[in-house]
Parts: sequence; C-alpha cells; structure tokens
Amino acid sequence: MSRPVPGSWLRGTVIRKGGISTGSSTRTSTPQIQSTSNTVFGGGVKDASGRVSEYSSMDDTCPVCKSDRYLNPKLRLLVSACYHKMCESCIDRLFTLGPAPCPICAKILRKLAFTPQTFEDLGVEKEVAVRRRMAKEFNKRREDFPDLHSYNDYLEEVEDIAFNLINDIDIPETEARITAYRQENAALTELNVQREEQYQKYLKEKEDAERQEREQRALDLRQIEEEEREEREKERREIIDKLETSDKDAAKLIARSRAEALRRTNARHSSSAVAHARLQRSRTAQTIVFADVPHVPLQDDWYAYEDKFVIRDDYDDPASEAVRRDRDGIMRAGGYRVEEAWERALRSAVAGLEIMPLQGLSSQDTTVSGGQDVLMTS
Amino acid sequence: ASSSKRSIYEASTQYRHWRFSPEDLAHTRASLNTAAVSLIRDAFEADEARSSANVSFLNADEESLLVKLYLTKIPQLCSLFQFPEEVEATAMTYLKRFYLKNTVMDWHPKNVMLTALFLATKTTNHPIPVATYTSRIPKTQPSDVLDLEFLVAQSLGFDFAVWHAHRALWGSALDVQVLPDITSAEVRRVHQIALNYVHASRLTDAEFIYTPAQIALASLSMVSAPLAEIWARRTYADKADLLLAVLEPIKTMISTHGQAPDVEAVRNVDRRLKLCKNPEKVVGSRAYMKKQEEAEQRASEKRKRKAAAARKAMEEGDPFGSELAGDVGIEDDDDDD
Repeated sequence: MSRPVPGSWLRGTVIRKGGISTGSSTRTSTPQIQSTSNTVFGGGVKDASGRVSEYSSMDDTCPVCKSDRYLNPKLRLLVSACYHKMCESCIDRLFTLGPAPCPICAKILRKLAFTPQTFEDLGVEKEVAVRRRMAKEFNKRREDFPDLHSYNDYLEEVEDIAFNLINDIDIPETEARITAYRQENAALTELNVQREEQYQKYLKEKEDAERQEREQRALDLRQIEEEEREEREKERREIIDKLETSDKDAAKLIARSRAEALRRTNARHSSSAVAHARLQRSRTAQTIVFADVPHVPLQDDWYAYEDKFVIRDDYDDPASEAVRRDRDGIMRAGGYRVEEAWERALRSAVAGLEIMPLQGLSSQDTTVSGGQDVLMTS
Repeated sequence: ASSSKRSIYEASTQYRHWRFSPEDLAHTRASLNTAAVSLIRDAFEADEARSSANVSFLNADEESLLVKLYLTKIPQLCSLFQFPEEVEATAMTYLKRFYLKNTVMDWHPKNVMLTALFLATKTTNHPIPVATYTSRIPKTQPSDVLDLEFLVAQSLGFDFAVWHAHRALWGSALDVQVLPDITSAEVRRVHQIALNYVHASRLTDAEFIYTPAQIALASLSMVSAPLAEIWARRTYADKADLLLAVLEPIKTMISTHGQAPDVEAVRNVDRRLKLCKNPEKVVGSRAYMKKQEEAEQRASEKRKRKAAAARKAMEEGDPFGSELAGDVGIEDDDDDD
C-alpha cells in the first residue's frame, strides 16, 4: 500500500483511475484497491481461495461526504456493521476519537467495525455474513437425524432463524433461539466440526496424491519419448554405418535392423502396459471401502426353485467360452457375470416343470377380438 | 417346495395369459375364424351385393398352415442378420400369439412376420435401425414394418417377455454335468441334437400348452431317454413319474407337427387368400376408404359436440360448466368408440 505522491495533484500528474500506471489496461485487470489511510482496516475480503477481489465501481460516491473518484482516485468505501457505506476519510473523521453514532442510522459504531465490500448488493453482503456465522453453529447433517422429516424440520428452523436475522425480525427472540440450540447441541456440533475438518484434510491429501501421480506419469511419458527418440537416432546411424562398412545386401540389412527395432518397441510397450495396469489396480484397491448395509433378501411369496439345483463354479459350456476367456475384457458389459446367466438357465430348466397342462375346454367364453378392430395410430 | 409359495413361473405373463389346453386352442381358432369370416362377408356385401357367395374363405387349419410357413421363414431371416437364438424364438412366439388374436384374412403374415421379428429384436435388447433392417430385405419399406408395429404389440397384450425352451435346455445341459460318469463330449452331443428338436417344437403349439422346462426335457428325452430319466429323478424324487408322463404328448407333437409345411398346399392357400382378403384392410379399396370416412365422420361429430358444449359453457359464464345448471361435465370418452 503506497502513499500518494505528495502534491501530485497540484502538478496534475495524478491518475484518474485507481493507482495503477496508464501502461497497464485498467479494463482487464481489476483496479488495485489502495488504502488512503493507515488507521482503517486495510485487509482484503474474507476468502480462502484468494480468487475474490474487493468490490468497487467507477461511480462510487460516499453517501456522507459525497466525494467520488473524480477528485479522490483512491476512494475506498468500507461497510459498517449496520451495512452502510462510507469512505475512509469519513470513517477517520468520525470515529478516530472513539465510538460514535453512524451518520445514516445513528447506531453506535467503532472504527474497527468497518470491513471492505465483497458484493455489489449490500443485502447479499449481510446475508452472506449471517449465513457464515450460522454455518459455524448449525452444522448437522442428514445422518444425524432418524428420518427425513426431522431433518427437514431442522433445516426449516435454520432457515427461519437466518431469515429473521437477515431481515431484522424479532432479533432478541431469534438470538435466544440460537443460544438455546447451542446449549442443547454443543457436543454434536463439535463432533461435526471435527468431521468436517477431517474430510477437508482427506480431500486435500487425495488431491495432492493425484497431482503427484499425474506429474510422475507426465515425467515418465517424457522419459519414454526421449528414449524412443534416441533409439531411433541410434538405429539410423547404425544403418548408415552398416551400409558403409559391410558388403551384404542393403535391403536385407535394413529389413533386419527394422525387425529388431520393432521387437524392442513391442517389449517396451508391453512392459509399460503391465506397469500401467498394475498401477490402476492398486489405485482402485486403495479407494475407501465403505461397509455394506446388511443385505435384506426379497421377501415375497414366489418359489424360485433354489433347492432344485446347485450352481457350480465352472461348467463345460461352449456358449459362454468366449466371454469367460476374456476375463478383463471388452466383451463384458458392466456388471455382467457368467454365473448369473448360468443361474437363470438352471432355474428355467426346472421352473414350471411340475405345472401340469390344462385340459378340456375352459369354462368361460374365450373372448375373441374378431369384432371391433384394434385401433392403430397412423 | 413349500406349499404356500407359488412357482415363480406363475408370475410370468406366459403362464397367466398365454396358457391354453389343446381343446381351448382349437376352439379359440375356430371361433376367431368364424367371426372373421362373417365380418368379411359383410364387408364384401356392403361393397358389392352377392359378391361373397363365390368367395371361398379359409378355415382355421388353412390359416395355421400359412402361419406355419411364415414361421419357417423367421430362422432364415435370423441367419441372414446373424440374430441370436433368443430373437428368433421370441419372434416366432410373437407371430404365433398374434394369430391367436387376429385372422390371416385381415393381416397377411408376410408383413406381420417382419414386424414381429423387428419387435423381437427390440424387446430382447438386440435392436437394429429399421432402415438397416428393411434395406437387407428385398422389396420392403420401413413403413411396411412400422405400420403394423403397434397392432402387433397390442395383440400381444404388450406381454413382451417370453420364457424359452432353449434356455431351459441350456440349463439342463449345465445341470447334467453334475451327474457322475457322463462325459462333456456326450453332453455337448446330446445338447446339440436336443436343440434341433427344440427348433422343431417352435413350429408347433407346444409353448401354449406346456411349460418351456417340459418342452426342453422332452427334447432331451427324445435324444437320450435314460439321461432325461436320471436327471428328472434326481431333481424331483417324488413327481418324476408324473413329469415323465407329461413328456409323451410333447414328443408326439414335436415329431408329427414339427416340420415345415408342404409348399404346394400353402401355395394354394395363398392363392385363395388373395381373393378372400378383407377389403376393409386393403389400402385404397372402396371399403377401406368408406371405413376411413366413417371414422372421420365420427371424429368430427364428436369434435362438434365438444365445441358446442364448450361454447355453451362459456356463454353461460362458467367455463367449467356449473353443476347447478345441470351439465355434469362433458363426456370425455377419448378414442374408444
């Protein structure tokens, strides 16, 4: 944060927009916000990822002293705790000597209570601040509730409180509700905070691991490329040498060296493919395995002939030979298991075997649709 | 089997809707045929008086003969397209079921067969585009196949899932490997030959009377009766004799009716069919046009009625009609005339 050049406004070298030199375009890069006072809060907006910059517009005007960027290029409007904007010089002027009433709404404010603006709409700013505060305290998840209904009730309660706080409805009563909730749920809230932290940490670790792996693979790939290029060069040089020195048939020489080169590349490809496959398998094995919910079998009245056949691990089955040989392969659709096909066949071999055929004419008139046409959509 | 539970096969539509006794089948076909003949006779009369006296209509057996011929064409088509066996079996079932609900004189089996095969490819999850399908069949347009598709589906009662005997036979071939002293070469041989008998059974009415497991066991028994008996006794210790008794009529059916029909006889039937076809279904004939007009008239009348009712309601001030004024609401009976 540099100080303005003293007396530059007299010499007329003060730049109109922001504090950046006219060399860089002020359209594409966000104008740097520089504080004009070193007693007011000079930090940036509250953002962990560092991608959000402070809000400022070209026609900012301080509502208190009505100054704008024309005369004061480093104008910076900060927001009070009662969500009114003021320029830094006004804040200095009004609050340096201690707490004073806000010139717009007469609420008592301290100088520290001013923060830079993130959003264009102050309503949004207020809402974000309220929700940020509430998120620290109200962090229950769906799993903490016995059923969906109670979870929804909890969410509605949270929204209710948020709405009251944002729109200044029944503030003391709402605050009382918050304290009541806090006292009741202190333990669970704490637990959830820890869970959240752990999860963030886990995500970050995973991300780092993935990034490392990617870099490693890129490195490997580059190495392989290098090697291949070198080999090709060497091969060419060898051919030339051989052609020069030996007196055998030129075509045969070339063919032989080509065959060797091909063998070498094949060997390398297979080894790298094996390594790659191993890597993929280890990666899938490492992903967290969540314990399965105990399986509740279908409960219905149908007899599925389980006692009439025993399925073995392996059959001599020409129909499925191709699929079974291709164990890892491209032939299978996701989730296909030969055992399931065999089970279906075995079941259909016994299903209905004991159902005796009907005999004689059935009692009711078999209705025949020889009458009215079935209507077609044409 | 616990007594309270019912066989899972009883949940299938094949058991619930497409299971008949031999007498039932004959009766259904006969009554269908008579009803159709009388309708077509009326159509002929309406078209041109006294014309129907010279026309000799087909009877139920002749209809079956024609359907059987087209049944034999399905495996040929399937080998052309390389469709799996399931498609072939499903298509043949669809064709047979269709002609339990409709008559050959209304819908010629040639296009119905193509439509049934196309529908079978879709329902068994082996679909191909209709353009590809018709481009490889000579003298066929996509519209020939698609026009009948809904009709076929409706006649099947939308019961698209079929239990097939060849799958039951495959299951038997697997289960038989559990038996001691049977070689896998023998199993393969028996399986192959029994499969031929299953193919023959598809030309018969077996699937309407017996369950696929019974048909499969009958085919197995025709190849190797002792093997079938051993397996049956192993699976059903108590009911084995009953089961083996059921197999006898199936074997007779397969051996007597499981062949392609005599081409000359079918050609005769086809020739007569050209004359006794229902004129109302022939696109472009007078009767067809008349029927179209009648349908159009009924539809326009209904539209006018609806419009009049709506107008009246609007004028009276309440667009939904007021219950006090006595209109209980417009009859909304859609398209079922």
